Amino acid sequence: MTAFLIRRLGFAVVTLFAVLTLVFVLVRIVPGDPAQVILGDQASQEAIMALREKLGLNRPIHAQYLTFISGALVGDWGTSMVTGRPVIQEVLNVLPWTIELTLISLVIGIVIGVPLGIAAAVKRNRFTDYAARIASLLGLSFPPFVSALLLLLGFAILLPWFPVISARSGSATAWFQSITLPAINLGLITAAYITRVTRSAMLEVLQEDYVRTARAKGVPINAVIIRHALRNALIPVITIVGLYLGILIGNSVLTEIVFSRPGLGKLIVGALNQRDYTMLQGMMVIYTLVVVVVNLATDIAYGVADPRVKLK
Amino acid sequence: MKRKLSLGLAVAACFIAGSAFAQKKTLVIGMGSADAGKLDPHLASTTPDKGLLNYIFNGLVRIKPGQASPDFIEPDLAESWTSNKDGTEWTFKIRAGVECHHGYGPFTAADAAYSITRASNKATSNYSGDFRAVDKVEAVDATTLKITLKNPVAGFLGYVSNINGGNMVCKKAAEEMGDGFGKKPVGTGPFEFAEYQPQQFVKLKAHKKYFRGAPQLEEITYRYIPADSSRDLAFQSGELDMIYGKQDQTWVDRTSKLPGVVVKAMEPGEMSALYLNVTSKPLDDIRVRQAIAHAIDRKAIVVFKGAGTSREAVSVVPSGYLGTDEKAPLYPYDVAKAKALLAEAGYKDGVTVKTIHTTLTGMQTLIEAVQAQLKKAGINLEIELVEHATFHAQIRKGLSPIVHYQAARFPVADVYLTQFYDSNSIVGKPTAITNFTFCDIADSEIRAARVEQDAAKQKMLWKTAQEKLVKNVCGIPIYEQLQLWAWKANLDLGYDLVGSLNLSPPITEKTRFKN
Repeated sequence: MTAFLIRRLGFAVVTLFAVLTLVFVLVRIVPGDPAQVILGDQASQEAIMALREKLGLNRPIHAQYLTFISGALVGDWGTSMVTGRPVIQEVLNVLPWTIELTLISLVIGIVIGVPLGIAAAVKRNRFTDYAARIASLLGLSFPPFVSALLLLLGFAILLPWFPVISARSGSATAWFQSITLPAINLGLITAAYITRVTRSAMLEVLQEDYVRTARAKGVPINAVIIRHALRNALIPVITIVGLYLGILIGNSVLTEIVFSRPGLGKLIVGALNQRDYTMLQGMMVIYTLVVVVVNLATDIAYGVADPRVKLK
Repeated sequence: MKRKLSLGLAVAACFIAGSAFAQKKTLVIGMGSADAGKLDPHLASTTPDKGLLNYIFNGLVRIKPGQASPDFIEPDLAESWTSNKDGTEWTFKIRAGVECHHGYGPFTAADAAYSITRASNKATSNYSGDFRAVDKVEAVDATTLKITLKNPVAGFLGYVSNINGGNMVCKKAAEEMGDGFGKKPVGTGPFEFAEYQPQQFVKLKAHKKYFRGAPQLEEITYRYIPADSSRDLAFQSGELDMIYGKQDQTWVDRTSKLPGVVVKAMEPGEMSALYLNVTSKPLDDIRVRQAIAHAIDRKAIVVFKGAGTSREAVSVVPSGYLGTDEKAPLYPYDVAKAKALLAEAGYKDGVTVKTIHTTLTGMQTLIEAVQAQLKKAGINLEIELVEHATFHAQIRKGLSPIVHYQAARFPVADVYLTQFYDSNSIVGKPTAITNFTFCDIADSEIRAARVEQDAAKQKMLWKTAQEKLVKNVCGIPIYEQLQLWAWKANLDLGYDLVGSLNLSPPITEKTRFKN
């Protein structure tokens, strides 16, 4: 286990380094000038050049790279070029909002998706299966901002149960009110995804010999499904959930925007539009870290789900 | 679960009912951006930041709330002012009894002098260029400020009014906080900064010691809601009292139908114009430029954009500015003439011209309409769409032979003419601003008008400059887009709103909710 962790951490460092370099280059290849964005459209060329100097954008590219990498190594990601606020602080300000939304919608996705997937597999080619498949197809093909607007129209305007601006805090009621619609919006999409994966994994396992044997020796059907089939079908489901968690954080941006919630996605899009190099770099470091950690957690989860998997 | 939910509903209902009876003292504004930028008045460059800072700061003078023209300049922190005959020495009498926010003490001439010096300094201000002519700023005594200019400046009072570099900061606070001033801006206006929540809101509290009297409102929450539809819904549900509108006619039509709502299209108009690079082929042939000008139907564009929210452009300077030639000799819509001109120039079978264009929705629909109009005259406009920041970078490298630009400026002809048509402003030069046309034909008039003290002569110079630029087709003015806002009918702004130079309606000490 320890050797496994060390090896994986080694990989993580290499990945992180590669991503940092890539991001550093990419943000600079994209046309557009942060100094110009900051100064607005009435700025003179002189003022723009002066600001570029001040921001260190006129320094040789390798010098900028060294500053960036050495800063990143000691955890200093600089300050946002646009707002002047420290990158780490900007990220930490909104990170809890994103984590909260992602985790809750993931739970909703699992709670709905796994049982629905099982039901669809067991009742293959019958009404339940068709219903589940149509529902999940709908969930996957529906753009999240459309479903978000529909939820707001339905449950904030027609039935004024929830606020449109879903970013309240303070009391438990306020929190519940502001997380419900965004979490349902993202959760339903996740559920659609998980339903499909669970269904296909279960279908495969249900055809295995040991399932037939278990049924033949008289194990009750529910016990076969839960104990024999599901346990084995979980491995691909975990893989997908792990991968999806990374995507989910990125996908949350549209949900964040429509529900007016703070979040990482919104921060990335804003930084991109403004060519905020330092901000983008800092965000990518964090995003990569999250994906690396999630993947590691997924690998560990394999071991828990399947005793045959040894973490070497 | 059901019980919990209904309990929550009951609580919410009580809350809503309660607030309906008491007089509302908090104004919630929904702005169309994702987050606050720089909340330092000398650095802020975006409409959302400028709008908010307007509630916090004063100028030496101000444009009367609700107006958008320097004709309405009135005293603000300075009660009176005088200047010498040639306009190079200005003396301001600073009002006594003005208090800075957060207990930073009285505002005196020393603060005003510090503020102008700060706004003139490249390191602390993005508006230092506006104060290039400033030679000396002195606080003669606590209530007297003297500004000496190297040369006269057209519309100088505009630069010390309550916008951009003219906003007066409190010296002690600005020195104490240094670079951090934008985190807690300290001014003298009716509202003081209270709280910032990233990507959510800025909260302002009433400045009880405001020199015009304590504000009627107790609090302003300035919310950042980038999605147009979410802002509309939150306005509809009552979570917002005032919103920045989606800038098109359908929004106006839809929002006007809501009960108890005021929708306003206010000044200034942002003028859309095409800027033609007169040194690039085939635009170096004036007949090709004239053909393009003749092929654009401004009337049809206004019908397309909505008559209530837009109007035809009148000159290369937007209408209503000091010095605008309201009857500039714009080329009339005439497709046959356009075709004849093209044929004369040797493009019998049509001509292809190119523009690099932003994906900003409002601007994109306009250029597509123009493209369709030009097609009728045999002019094929190739549009290369790029994202907004890329657009700004590329047009400033002179990469786009035709630039479509939409802007409002301080309403003095000099500002527009200097930025868009003075040859010093040609993109690529060290002094560049936004001259995409490479035209220099009106330089002498623009520069002479800048220092001319005789108002009538100055006007004539500006008129000549505009005529030259129009005739030579350096720029093709198209239409002007007004600023769209909506608010609850029970909100009394406390003044008549015609317009606002920073594009957001001012909130003053008199703004209140009617019972």
